[in-house]
This record gives sequence, C-alpha cells and structure tokens, in this order.
Amino acid sequence: MTITRIMRFVEPLIGVVGVVLLWMLVARLAANATLVPPPAVVWQAFVAMLDGDLPRDILASLAHLGVGYGLGVATGLALALAAGSSRWLEAVLDPLAEFLRPISPIAWIPIAILMFGVGRLVPIYLIFYASLFPIFVSTLDGIRHVNRNLVNAAQSLGASRSTVLVHVIVPAVLPSIVAGARLSLGVAWMALVAGEIVGGDSGIGWRILWYQEFFQMDRVMAAILIVGALGLAADSVLRSLQRALSRVNPSLASGA
Amino acid sequence: MSYALTAPLPTRIRVLLPVAVLVIATVLWEIAVRSTRSQGLMPMPSGIALSGFELTRSGVILEAMAGSLQRVAIGFVIGALIGIPLGLAVGTLRPLERSLRPVLDGLRSIAPIAWIPMAILWLGVRGNAALFVVSYAATFPFLVSASQAVRLVDPRLIDAARALGASRWDLLRAVLVPSTLPMLFTGARIALAFAWGSIIAAELAIGIKIAGQGRNVAGIGQLMVETLYVKRDVDALVFYMLAIGIVSLAIDAGLRHLQRRVLPWDRQ
Amino acid sequence: MSALLELRHVGKTYTSARTGDSVEALADIDLALRNGEFLAVVGPSGCGKSTLLSLVAGFAEPTSGEVLFEGARVIAPSPARGVIFQDYALFPWRTVHGNVVFGPWARGVPQATRDERARELIAMVGLAGFEHRYPHELSGGMRQRCALARMLANDPKLWLMDEPLAAVDLQTRIILQDELLRLWGDEPSVANRPTVMFVTHGIDEAVLLADRVLVLGRRPGRIKALVEVTLPRPRAALRTSPEVARLVEQVWNLIRDEAAQAIVEETH
Repeated sequence: MTITRIMRFVEPLIGVVGVVLLWMLVARLAANATLVPPPAVVWQAFVAMLDGDLPRDILASLAHLGVGYGLGVATGLALALAAGSSRWLEAVLDPLAEFLRPISPIAWIPIAILMFGVGRLVPIYLIFYASLFPIFVSTLDGIRHVNRNLVNAAQSLGASRSTVLVHVIVPAVLPSIVAGARLSLGVAWMALVAGEIVGGDSGIGWRILWYQEFFQMDRVMAAILIVGALGLAADSVLRSLQRALSRVNPSLASGA
Repeated sequence: MSYALTAPLPTRIRVLLPVAVLVIATVLWEIAVRSTRSQGLMPMPSGIALSGFELTRSGVILEAMAGSLQRVAIGFVIGALIGIPLGLAVGTLRPLERSLRPVLDGLRSIAPIAWIPMAILWLGVRGNAALFVVSYAATFPFLVSASQAVRLVDPRLIDAARALGASRWDLLRAVLVPSTLPMLFTGARIALAFAWGSIIAAELAIGIKIAGQGRNVAGIGQLMVETLYVKRDVDALVFYMLAIGIVSLAIDAGLRHLQRRVLPWDRQ
Repeated sequence: MSALLELRHVGKTYTSARTGDSVEALADIDLALRNGEFLAVVGPSGCGKSTLLSLVAGFAEPTSGEVLFEGARVIAPSPARGVIFQDYALFPWRTVHGNVVFGPWARGVPQATRDERARELIAMVGLAGFEHRYPHELSGGMRQRCALARMLANDPKLWLMDEPLAAVDLQTRIILQDELLRLWGDEPSVANRPTVMFVTHGIDEAVLLADRVLVLGRRPGRIKALVEVTLPRPRAALRTSPEVARLVEQVWNLIRDEAAQAIVEETH
C-alpha cells in the first residue's frame, strides 16, 4: 500500500478522533457531567440504552418513518403520474402543491395534535405530508422533461402507445423518481424527529425529551447522536439502492 | 394518457382553473362545517378570516412574527459566519475535507430540533435555545454550498484570467468571488428556509415545555402552543399556518429577487 | 419513376398555447422524392428544415396541404420511415444490442430472428464487440452508428436524418459520411436502395452526398431552389473536386444573406 492509500484511509479517522478529543477537552473544562457529558459517559449510557429501551424506540421510529414515508411517496408518485397524464389535473394540482409547499410541515404540528391527539399519528402525519412534495415535484418535472426525441424514436420504430409508456417513459422518468425519493427521505427524517419531540409518545425523538425530563443528559446526548447516525444510515441505504439500480439502468447513476 | 405528448393549456385556463377550484372548495368547506355544526371543533374559512383579521389588528401575530423573524435573522447570520468560512476551507483543502467529511455528514444528519434539550440546558428557555437550533440549522446549507461552490469553480476561467495578466488579488476578487456567489446565494436561500422551519419547531418544543406558565410569548411557535392548549382556537391555528406559509414565500421571493439583481448573469 | 414521398402545398404554423403568438415555420412546400434518391435539405437557421422532417416522419401534422407516403396521408410515425436524430435519442437504459433490437422487438419479431438481425447490423456499422455497452460509454460517432443500426433493423424505405453528423468532430464526420454512403448504396444506379432525406447545415456535406439539394429560405420556410447534383457516383472520392466546390458556392450564395441575418436574430 502506498502512502497515499494509507492516508486516504486514516484521514477520516483523524477527523473523528480529533472531534472526540475536542469533546473530551470541553467536558473536562466544564467539569459538569450534566452540562457537558463526556464521551466516555455517553458511551456507557449508549450501552445501557441498548440493553433497555433503545431497540424498541428505534423500531418505533422506523415504524413511523416506514408508514409515513411509504404513504407519502406512494401518494406523491400517484399524484405526479396523474398530473403527468392530464394537463387539466396538472393545472389544479401544481398550483396546489406550490401553495402548500411553503407551509412547513412543522407548522402543521398544532393542528395535527388537535386532530389526532399527542401520539403516533402526529409524527406519521407529519412525515407523510413532508414526503409528498419532493417526490411529487421531482417526478412531475421528470415527466414533463422526458426527451421528446426518445418518444419520437420509439414511435418511429413501431412501438405502440402502451409500449411507449411502459418501456420508454417509465425508464426515462425513473431517475427523477429516485432523486425525489431521496429528497423526500431527507425531509421525512426531519419531520420524524420534530413530530416525535413535539407531539409524539414513542420513538427515539420522543425519548430524547423523556431523558431530559429526568436530567439524564448523557442519555440525551447518546440519543441525539443516534438520531444523526440513523439519518445517515437511511440516506446511505437509499444511495446504495440508487447505485445498484443504476447498474441495471445507467441513467440512474448520479453524481452523489 | 398523454404523458409529455400534449401541449400545455392556454394561460387563461391555467390561471383560472385552480382559482375556480379553490373558490368552490372554500365554499363547500364552509357549508360542510356549518351544516354539521362543528364550528369551534373544525376550522372554517369564515372563522379563519375573522381570527386572522382580529389577530392582525391587535398586533398579536405581528409581534410574535417579529420575535421569530428576529431570531431567524440572527441565526441566519451566525450560520453564515460559521458555515461559509468552514465550507470554503473544506472545499479548498482536500485533506481537510477527507478528514472532516464523516464528522460533518454526521452532524448534518442530526435534525436541528433534536438539540433542543441540550440547548435548553445550556442556554435557557428564554430564546437562546431556539437561537442555537436555528443557527445550527442554517450552518449546514452554507457549509455545503460554500464547499461545492469552491470546488466547482471552472479552472478554465482561472486560466483565462491569468493569461490576461491577473494578479492573485485580482483572481480572488474578480474570478473566485463572482464564480462562487450564485451557489452561495442558493445555499443562503436553503439556509433561510431551514432556519424558518427550525425556529417554529424550536418554539413549539419550548412552548410545550413552558405551556401554561404564563410567560411572555417570544415567537409564533409559542403563540401557536398557547392557542392550542390554552385558548383552543382552531381557526386561529389555521391562520397561523397560512401566515407561516406566506412569510416563507415572501422571504424566498425576496431573496430570489435580490439574487437576480445582484447576479444578473446567473441563469436561474 | 413513381414518387415514394410527395408533399403537396404543405404549410406548418406553430401557435404558442402560452402566448397566442403564431410562427409560420413552413409555407408552400411542393416536393416529390424519387425512389432511391438522396435528397439533402439545407438552409439558414430558422428555415424550418427540422420541421419539414418532423412532418414527413409523422411527429406533427401540417396545418395546410398534405404529406403523402406511398400515396397515403402521413398521420403518425411508422417503421417504414426511419428517423435518425441529431442527439441520437438512444435509450440510455438499454445496451447497444437492446437499442438495435427495439424496433423488431416492439413489432413482435421472434427473439432468435431479431437477435440475429441485430448482430448482423451491429457488425455492419462497425460496432461488433460493443453489443453490451451502454450509450454513455460510447463516443459520439459510435452512438450515431448505433442509432443507424437501430433504424436499419426495421428496413425502412425512407431514411429521415436530422443533422445526424452535426455533433461529431470533423474527422469522425468524414468517416461517417463514407460509411453512410456505403450503407446506403453509393453506386451509379442501384434498384431498391432506400430513399434518403438528409437535413444538414453543412452545404459541402449536402452537395457531396446528395442527388438533389433542397434549399429553404427562412421566415417562413419556402423552397428557394432545388439544385440537381449531377456528379457521378461513387462520390466518396470526389470530396475535394472543383465541381463540388462550385456547387457549394452556388448554394451558399442563395442563403448567405439570410444566414447572416439569422446570426443576429437568433439571440435568446
């Protein structure tokens, strides 16, 4: 192995280690484990949580995400396909989306609490609402921008209407759909945490407040980091999926 | 099925149709709520309008919005002050980028609102906790866009400038700054949108913690919580939502307009 | 000799749904293509050459007049009228083989037959060994060859080519011109060779390849001239002959002024 390859491997580790050391220093200076939990204490808290509520909390959050994101993406996709197939529907749905989009999902929380009461439905609804827009906008944009010549070429080669739809338009729109799904996941994740913290009764986000009630700040810190790790993991999964799909369909390969 | 195969509708229809649908939907909504006698339980257009009028007249909503926007502005600036230099550094120095990448990606993945408990502990409930969350949220869009902007500067432009005799200072001022501005501006717009969303979330979270304690309402989020738990005014809540949306639009439109004026060469 | 393709008083006006403006792209086009003929279409920017091709292909319908292919009105695209696009329009998610096989596949030709035919054609255009590559892995010249093979898989009687060699460099263009002539049948007289309508910006290319050159004017596109190219075939060796240069000069003089105008008027 050359020096460069070793460095490439080591550099990220240096960054992480450096930050952890900085953290330890700040904790040492603050000398108050509640105010600034040191890394070691947080790690212990994490281990203890693993044995306790953590798996259940993560599962609950993933369940919220799964339901909300699944419904949101499915609905957004369906609406985009509908808008793509009919100019009239598009004329109604597009402005509606533009009107609702600036209203951050967060703004819906009080109404959601009013409608569903504090509980699982608040984060699920929030995630559903948040996931709708990126996939809708991206898919519709993809449909509208399908290279006209691809459709023309297919028709000149003798393809029927349905063949064009299934074997030209769908593959051509797929990259936009995947990109939209990734964006939706990003906002879904934010909506999950906000929904659980403000109006939920289960899941890792809600658990952060729970630990805070008992001033278990080491656990709070651990939970915060877990939220970050899970968010990162979710995006990595989608990115790998995108890469795998692009081997079958090269037009899906993106810069990321 | 027409997929991309038909021409767009004439402009008149494209404008009138959604308006017509909106009007009809609003009327039906009003009728539905009135006929089921659910005023007060369900929001209704007339109630929303009345609430809105009252709240605006009494200045309640304006005060709350001002409070929130103030913190958004400060958080936005803090985010820029931290995010842009860091982003420029990361974008220019490859080893720095490689070592900090996992850390920055990790921190970026933490939803800003998750920091609320720590922020409350560190900075107290009065407003700085929310400010922390907003600054945190605003930092990463600046960071990402700054690092990308630097990396995507067209090296041929630099070559061209040097061939024309530009000094290092000239290069910085006349090539690098203009090249990176468009992306930075877009990053700023995203940062502002994030900041706006985060302040509401933070204020909601804080508001729920201190609901009923009779403290002064610092922002729109706390106002909404108070309305939710204390006053239970559905119509006002919907009005707040609409107000939030309008402010989002206004902020983004304002920035976009500014972008077009400051960067006339940028094809957005 | 019967006409494979006839255009009778064809005109095409585009009306923008958005603004209501209309642009007359083509007017008064009367044309008859002889069987086995190679017709080139040239003209300044904005003269409607691509529109003409669209109408013949069946992607659009004329606003006045009619387009007749083998005596019947053209109302939709058909495999008998194959098309080559300037941007190749290869399906990026299909390999070279997948693209070439698309036509026969869509028409229900059995697998063994169509695979065999695809292999033949891929070899014929010089892409043997690249069957399983994706378009993005190919150079511009190779992509155009793939597009050619894809069109040929349907054995079209009429080849419609829209500036097929505009996007490749000059050296590749010369090579592809020779290959095109070879595939088409560049000999003194050949029965049953396909008829070609070839739109191009390059007058030298038009004169070299074609039996007749259709010269269009702009705004609206009308026939300025139909120049007979009486040079003997095979043409490949005649690229630099003085006769070719003379014809190029003749055609260029017809469109020179309008071409200069087009440069100024084609701003965005």
